[in-house]
Amino acid sequence: MANPSKIEHNKPTQVTEPKNKKRLTHEGKWGLIMISPYLIHFVVFIAFTLIASFYFSLSKYDMLNAPEFIGIGNYTKLVNDQVFWQALGNTVYFTVLFVPAQTILALILAVALNQQLKGLKLFRMAHFIPVISSWTVVLYVADAIFNPRFGLANTILSKIGMSQQQWLNDEMLVIPVLVVVAVWKGIGYMMVIFLAGLQNVPEDLYEAAEIEGAGVLKKFRHVTIPLISGTTFLVLVLSTITTFQAFEQIYVMTGNGGDITAAGGPNNSSMVLMLYLFQQGFAFLKMGYASAIAWVLFIILFIITLIQVKLQNKWVHYEK
Amino acid sequence: MSKVRWSRYVLYMFALFALVLSACSNQTEGEAEQDGDNDSTSEEQVEITLGFYSSGSADQKMEELINKFEEAHPNIKVTTQNAPYSQFFQKLDTQIAGGTAPDVWLSDGVFVQKYAERGAAKDLTEWINKDLNKEEYFGLDFNKDSDGKYWAVPQGIQIGALFYNKDMFDQAGVDYPDDNWTWDDLKEAGAKLTLDANDNNANASSFDTSTVKQFGLTFFNITEGWMPVLKSYGGGVLDDELKNSIVDSPENKEAMNWIVDGMERGILTDPADLQAFQSPMSPFPSETAAMRIGIYARVLAANETGVNYDVTVLPKGPSGERFSPVIANSWIISESASDAKAQAAWEWIKYWVTEDEVQKEWAELGEAVPVKKSVANSDLFIGSGEKPENKQAFLDSFDFAGTLDVNAVWSEWVKVFGDNVNRAFLGETSVDEALEEADQEVQKVLDEFYNNQ
Repeated sequence: MANPSKIEHNKPTQVTEPKNKKRLTHEGKWGLIMISPYLIHFVVFIAFTLIASFYFSLSKYDMLNAPEFIGIGNYTKLVNDQVFWQALGNTVYFTVLFVPAQTILALILAVALNQQLKGLKLFRMAHFIPVISSWTVVLYVADAIFNPRFGLANTILSKIGMSQQQWLNDEMLVIPVLVVVAVWKGIGYMMVIFLAGLQNVPEDLYEAAEIEGAGVLKKFRHVTIPLISGTTFLVLVLSTITTFQAFEQIYVMTGNGGDITAAGGPNNSSMVLMLYLFQQGFAFLKMGYASAIAWVLFIILFIITLIQVKLQNKWVHYEK
Repeated sequence: MSKVRWSRYVLYMFALFALVLSACSNQTEGEAEQDGDNDSTSEEQVEITLGFYSSGSADQKMEELINKFEEAHPNIKVTTQNAPYSQFFQKLDTQIAGGTAPDVWLSDGVFVQKYAERGAAKDLTEWINKDLNKEEYFGLDFNKDSDGKYWAVPQGIQIGALFYNKDMFDQAGVDYPDDNWTWDDLKEAGAKLTLDANDNNANASSFDTSTVKQFGLTFFNITEGWMPVLKSYGGGVLDDELKNSIVDSPENKEAMNWIVDGMERGILTDPADLQAFQSPMSPFPSETAAMRIGIYARVLAANETGVNYDVTVLPKGPSGERFSPVIANSWIISESASDAKAQAAWEWIKYWVTEDEVQKEWAELGEAVPVKKSVANSDLFIGSGEKPENKQAFLDSFDFAGTLDVNAVWSEWVKVFGDNVNRAFLGETSVDEALEEADQEVQKVLDEFYNNQ
């Protein structure tokens, strides 16, 4: 006690902690000050907007006038809204087709491009180009393939004697076509994540497996897959979240050249939650209702991610 | 001591942040008020913000006209805000929500009531009655509500007419359309003008509807699709009050049958046909359709691609009724603008519609029919030498022009109506069923807003 300042300097926690556990240390305070720009950003742009949107979801709010509290009215309306259920169904359908397709194909592509080949970088780059292209550009490429009159797909179908399809204008085909295009656009990004995972697999494990007599498939099944399971998990979570938030692609590809009220067609068969939310909020000025949709979407995503996190214990191996 | 200091730091950061935020948003307003206070001349200085959506070359002209306005009104300073069409309205709605709306803005004609009925637009009735001679202008009444109040003043008018490709008519040996045509005449001519991949027309027994390479009439959505047909058949979507659906009527059924038959025979483009084009607007300028129902602005694309075309009034319905759709893109003054700013904004509107020079310069862009009748009737517009030759048809159409049943929930009822009739257009449901369902859904949209259900 003769020289308290020295003690505080060396072991600051000893002095402060016993008095009041909640009290911050000197470093802690500086730490807070240092992160305050982010903290302020979080409070103003995230926490505040979250609370505000929850309040809006309990209000009748047209943006142009002050919100009027109506309790759970928007949520009860959602339950009876056919288009909402259709949009939820379409979103789930889109996700169920997209996530496995993209994950499996990206993995195959990553394995193929993880070999020692000539011109490897060129191939990797080629697969990454769609990722950095805007949806408007992708739309033109997709149109060259799926245009019902001039597209490649129908030309091939008619050459092999099959009947031509309406693709994006066909209620049954619109989502599968959107998924094909989305996979094409997104696969490069997931491939890069997989490549990073693959390059972390130690070479000696493959050698050991070879000595044990394992073939290519067995090595893939028993060495590669378990060792990149952490990466696969990340890819799955990311893909699921992006599909639930799919908006731009569907807006651009089904919106008759930028008309938000036309997007999601034909006949709402490609209406997804984000698009419905946007349409209700910004085109029809039902911001309260749109906020309720946003909260339902958030809860669904939260539950799905929670399930994914719980399930990961069963199959994801992290290196110790 | 240190406790005080660190909390103070956080406080400073918040203050700094708030300062940055406020500097971003409210700068102009603060300046304007200061200007006003310091000014000691007889006329008070006012600064107003003016919002408009971009449309290519028109932006520059708009800025020029604003500069001229400022020269003529030295006490008014105009700050402009513009953005491409869809972003403009998104931003505008957000600005209104945040209390930072421009004092005066250009609204798409179909959105005027959206702002008026939700209390965002200022009632201009008194000013219009006092300062404008209504006889001299086109379209003032298109922004009048059922109570007789005016909410906006047209900036330029879009009115529908029938566009036809002369070369295609000549080639098929069909007489050009005239003002005696009925919709049935149009279909009859259209059949001869519709060609499949083997050059058979729609009347030929071997005609193949799946390989149409030239359509008789391109038909899209409301303004340039179903609304003029429904209305000239005596039908429509909303009643006069614009609060109730009148969709399920025998007149609408007759009109819908006319449309669906045309689509089944390949003469009219159906929604799936349009999917093949980069834009639903492209069949006529790209010479894939012999006729279109088109608002005035469509002359730009047709002139650009060099189509040899002209226009005439839209055809008559079976009982001789006509209808030409109108969209009066208009100036709106913000309800939240202060008196001085609203007055300055009104000066701008007045300048826009009354000044011949402004009207002429704007007319030269060829984007819209001028609001001032004397300018529209002058050689500058009618006899400009640019196609179409018969621009008079647009002016004649004012005799039977009407809006698109525009009310506060226009976008929403158009969507549910469109979704339902499109199913009939694609042959997925019958006309009766489509109209019945559209009727219920449109009414639901209306009730939700007007009867608060």
